[in-house]
Amino acid sequence: MLLLDRKHALIIAIPQYRLNQDNGIVAGMERSTFIQNAINRKSEVLRVHADDRVIEVDGLFKKYGNFTAVNGVSFGVSRGEVFGLLGPNGAGKTTTMEMIEGLRKPDGGSAKVAGHDTRTSLRKVKEVIGVQLQSTSLFELLTVEEILRMYASFYPRSVPIEPLLDDMILQDKRKGQVKHLSGGQKQRLAIAIALINDPIVLFLDEPTTGLDPQARRTLWDIVLRLKERGKTIVLSTHYMDEAHILCDRICLMDQGSIIALDTPDELIRSLQSENAIEFRLPDQVDGYQTASSAIQSDSHIPPAAGADGSEAPGMLMGLLQHIPGVQQVELRKDTYVLYTSDLQATLTNFVQLMSERNITFTDLRTRTATLEDVFIHMTGRGLREE
Amino acid sequence: MKAYLQLTVSQLKLFARNRQMLVFTLFFPVFFMLMFGFLFNNDGPMSLDASIIDQDRTEASQELASRFGQTGVLNIKTSDTEAAALDALKHNDLGLVVVIPEGYGDSLSKFAQVSEPSSGGTNGGSAAVNAGTPAQIRMIYDSSNLTTAGMAKAAVNAVTDGVSKELVHFTPAVTVAEESVQSQQLSYIDFLVPGIVAMMIMSNNLNGVAGQIASWRERGVLRRMQSTMLRPSSFIAAQITARLALNGVQAVIVLLIGQFIFGTQVRGSWGTLLFFVIIGTLAFMSIGFIVASLARTPESANPIAAFLSFPMMFLGGVFFPIKNMPEFVQKIVNLLPIAHLSTAMREVMNTGAGFASLWTQTLVLGGWMIVAFAIASYTFKWE
Ligand SMILES: Nc1ncnc2c1ncn2[C@@H]1O[C@H](COP(=O)(O)OP(=O)(O)O)[C@@H](O)[C@H]1O
Ligand SMILES: [Mg+2]
Repeated sequence: MLLLDRKHALIIAIPQYRLNQDNGIVAGMERSTFIQNAINRKSEVLRVHADDRVIEVDGLFKKYGNFTAVNGVSFGVSRGEVFGLLGPNGAGKTTTMEMIEGLRKPDGGSAKVAGHDTRTSLRKVKEVIGVQLQSTSLFELLTVEEILRMYASFYPRSVPIEPLLDDMILQDKRKGQVKHLSGGQKQRLAIAIALINDPIVLFLDEPTTGLDPQARRTLWDIVLRLKERGKTIVLSTHYMDEAHILCDRICLMDQGSIIALDTPDELIRSLQSENAIEFRLPDQVDGYQTASSAIQSDSHIPPAAGADGSEAPGMLMGLLQHIPGVQQVELRKDTYVLYTSDLQATLTNFVQLMSERNITFTDLRTRTATLEDVFIHMTGRGLREE
Repeated sequence: MKAYLQLTVSQLKLFARNRQMLVFTLFFPVFFMLMFGFLFNNDGPMSLDASIIDQDRTEASQELASRFGQTGVLNIKTSDTEAAALDALKHNDLGLVVVIPEGYGDSLSKFAQVSEPSSGGTNGGSAAVNAGTPAQIRMIYDSSNLTTAGMAKAAVNAVTDGVSKELVHFTPAVTVAEESVQSQQLSYIDFLVPGIVAMMIMSNNLNGVAGQIASWRERGVLRRMQSTMLRPSSFIAAQITARLALNGVQAVIVLLIGQFIFGTQVRGSWGTLLFFVIIGTLAFMSIGFIVASLARTPESANPIAAFLSFPMMFLGGVFFPIKNMPEFVQKIVNLLPIAHLSTAMREVMNTGAGFASLWTQTLVLGGWMIVAFAIASYTFKWE
């Protein structure tokens, strides 16, 4: 039965895009080598010194009317680092980035880029940054080459266009008008424009949102190559896999505040449960949508088991909580998630428990914990609204 | 400087590649010109409907009546009685009524006999001429309409003068070499073409700038440029240069089409004409920038611009002369830039006027330009 379920889980798991590097179940998942390399490099992330900071953000604060969009954000970004702002839509990522770029005036706090304060020497800041705005729009009727030459003319110094076209894989589109470019090509052009002045810091605001998986991979590749060349990059995203692959450090944001800031691995380690076991009950009614904090709400446990043998969710979660090794139990929609530090013990005990209780389960799969789990653990909500 | 040149060239490329815009900004004025030109230009020079009431019915009176028909200015219509003709005059169906009273032929022949002997080689028979009583005809016209009244008087005087001079064998001491008066006579198309150029400058710049800037702002195109080291002044200077080039070329195209199809001419200097094209472009561009800044959404920028330019198009002396409008409307219209732009273009093209006679137009347009530019730079925002 377990084997059967494992097989079933395997089929389910493949289309899902998840980063489970040391997990047998997702061994069939294709993964390109650069991503693997990127992950390997993570282990040698160096702790940087404060004097190497190219960006210093101190207590940035922004209000729109009565609504606080960014609530006292402080961090530093070191030279050569890829710094990620990860959070759901509306977390304040764009507002934070644009205050550093000098496009929005903060209502409090300060931001310095390469030592230049955005409030007092904005032109100097603009000279050393390159930005790709979340909703970049360009002159549709100009060609790729014309647009690049035009933006190059806005700066006292600019890089040659040829290598830039090569790097951004736009060489065969150079004579094509912007309106005929695909979403991915437009985004690469936006990055090419952002690099035209050879900036010290590159800002990428949700560079892969709305792109198909193929175009996303291409863009990741580009970002990783820039990183290899030592470009400092500040990147915002609401995809946890993207943040994990690309970023040296991640600043988890929610509702205008920083809720965590560390390397991806450290963030996951902070969960203290490296693995997660997921399963569903076959005829689970969606009725009891106890959120992630369901374990604490003992009052929801109904007095008796269901007539058909399947137990009520609250009761089941209480049982699961007591399996050895389990640190936390959550019910997301109709999927139960057990976080554990001891995968083997928990799994064995789980199967035993379910057999004893005569509960049928399906779609069993195990995986390592992700940044998404970190976010849910800290906020009680997912990164993406369902 | 680099940025200014690049932006100017880019903007010109955008103009050239935006077919829809080119159609609207060039085809439209040319279409208007052709349509109005062919519709209203058929009867050539202006003419006046007139009726000749011959109560004398002699050879002399018929001869006089036929002379009225040959002026080329009067369009003779038949009326049965004087009363009927006067009625038509009151209802503006006629512009002039000439009555040749009974006894006209008699007086004329008596007068001729008296003057005949004295008219020899010299012109010395003044006493004898005064002895006869001149024949009389009556003309009735609408004195409230200055244009038709002037034409009526001129036509009648020319005819009677001719008859008198022939009768007394008058030899003028000074002769005037007559040169084709017809060619100097202005027709509606001469009025229309400069108006069309003025209209084109207005709508290109007011509507064009307002729509484009508002849409660029909405789509974040301007915001992206704001995040570079580009200075707003370079951006605006490039916009101005590119639009001046576009308007200059379009004005020349419209003028050439007018010349080849309708034979209109530029009698004044092209330099003066160009000056007014430039100053008009700048004034209307600045107004366009203001509209783009004041509009809350890009969707509202176009209607606001249309709301401003549409009345100006019809009241500003583009298609119809301002003089024909009610007094109080004229007062308002005379404050508008379009009125002065179309008047200036018209004067330069039709009468060959120079700056000396166009300083009012120059001042008013210049004033609009400076005030609008000041407000435009004050209200301009990148986002
Ligand atoms: N110009 C603005 N006016 C009013 N509210 C805004 C404006 N820009 C952003 N917001 C609000 O501020 C919050 C943060 O927005 P944003 O920084 O764009 O978030 P993110 O980039 O993380 O999705 C959102 O709730 C958004 O609705
Ligand atoms: Mg955003």
